[in-house]
Amino acid sequence: MPRIVRLFGKKRGQRMSGWWLVGRVGEAFWFAAICVVSVLSLSTIVAWQVFSPETHPYPIGYGFWLLVLVSCIFAFIGAIGFIIRVLRVAYSDEHRSVLADRAISNTQTLGGLRGRSMPSIPHLSGFTDSPGVRLAYRLPTDRPELRELVLGSVFVLAWDAMVAVLVAVTISKARYGIFDWFSLLVILPGFGYIGFRVTAWFFRKFRLATGIGGTTVEVSELPMVAGGSYQLHLVQYGRLSVKKLLIVLVCEEVATYHFGTDTRTERQEVYRQQVLDQGRCRIDWGKPFETVCDLHVPEDAMHSFQSPHNSVAWKILVEGEVNRWPSFYRSFPVVVYPRAASPQKSVPS
Amino acid sequence: MIRLLGLHKGYLPRESLGFHYSISGIETTSIIAIEASVVWFTEGKGSEDIGVHCFQRLTGDSITQHDWMQPMEIQTELPDAPLSYEGRLLKIRWCVRVRVYVTDGSELVAQEPFYLGSITKEI
Repeated sequence: MPRIVRLFGKKRGQRMSGWWLVGRVGEAFWFAAICVVSVLSLSTIVAWQVFSPETHPYPIGYGFWLLVLVSCIFAFIGAIGFIIRVLRVAYSDEHRSVLADRAISNTQTLGGLRGRSMPSIPHLSGFTDSPGVRLAYRLPTDRPELRELVLGSVFVLAWDAMVAVLVAVTISKARYGIFDWFSLLVILPGFGYIGFRVTAWFFRKFRLATGIGGTTVEVSELPMVAGGSYQLHLVQYGRLSVKKLLIVLVCEEVATYHFGTDTRTERQEVYRQQVLDQGRCRIDWGKPFETVCDLHVPEDAMHSFQSPHNSVAWKILVEGEVNRWPSFYRSFPVVVYPRAASPQKSVPS
Repeated sequence: MIRLLGLHKGYLPRESLGFHYSISGIETTSIIAIEASVVWFTEGKGSEDIGVHCFQRLTGDSITQHDWMQPMEIQTELPDAPLSYEGRLLKIRWCVRVRVYVTDGSELVAQEPFYLGSITKEI
């Protein structure tokens, strides 16, 4: 019985009921069409301007350059989309992966970079470039709240500047006896209230981020190896009355996936080991809390793993409960190698 | 058909992996290309990622000169990482995969899984 090409398919678990090639060829044609139409419109706009500028509906200026820019962007998107779809049809997953690896290694060679021995494990350079005071390495900290704070500050500044301009315009109109009642009764109070709330939010976040002093963690060796034991040195600065301070070693799986047009990331903690449980203590300016403790990575632990959509991440978490402040936690990523890898021990510079 | 030369399906990092593959039921003249690879790929909640450890593509004369009823042998030294892993959100699988491209446009795929490492079951 001859195979009938189905134009429409349905996803049934891991497999599609339709013919996958139709979808991919269709996508390739779609991007090719975008590219061709954009190039045609771009060449028409430019040629018209060159050969008959007096009849051109958009003389050189804002409108003309906007049309050129939009056409160029669509031509670029179409060309890249078309190339990617053709590569998907013409090459297997493995072949594409080999071509991509080769391109990356060629780029690294041209740039004078050394090839990575274990591409699926995060590179050590970001972890070993900061020597510690007491132990070999000071770990970099991962504080997502700082990104939120910086983006928040940009938004707050922009919003408050807009409100200030509106107030200035309204006042200057009022001086000439022009009263914009809609602006005075609706826009200014509404925008001002939003400005007040976001400014208050920003200062609350700023106080939280800076009020509790810095935390530094140093480790005796990097990379860590499954089954290995290491020393860890914690310093907590600030002026705090600590109720509880924990150091935990955590392993987390992270998976990124597409859900419709969204990209979502899910995290799952798969291992947690308490390294230190410190009870009540007092920290003052100039008298930080310092402790050295031992940390053991389990022998049957999965090593750190990093691929475009999936990862296994190891980190040291410092979790604290303090008087008159909300609980805080600080995260310090580390790299764990598999036991068999027998890495060359890095020497701090 | 793919046959791993080891006695069991568990391998250690840096161990040598050997496998035979042969093709039957297809005329050699109708084969456009054959790709044999040793790959790892992820399964689970996240989008699938793939890494190729060893890749061999045969086309043209190298296909017609070989009797595909006789096994073709490939040897490779396995890497240190990533190890096979059975996690909650993510699984890492290793396999030997052979793809055969035929002149009618179809593609035949066979794969033989194996386990790299011995300790990375879910902790």
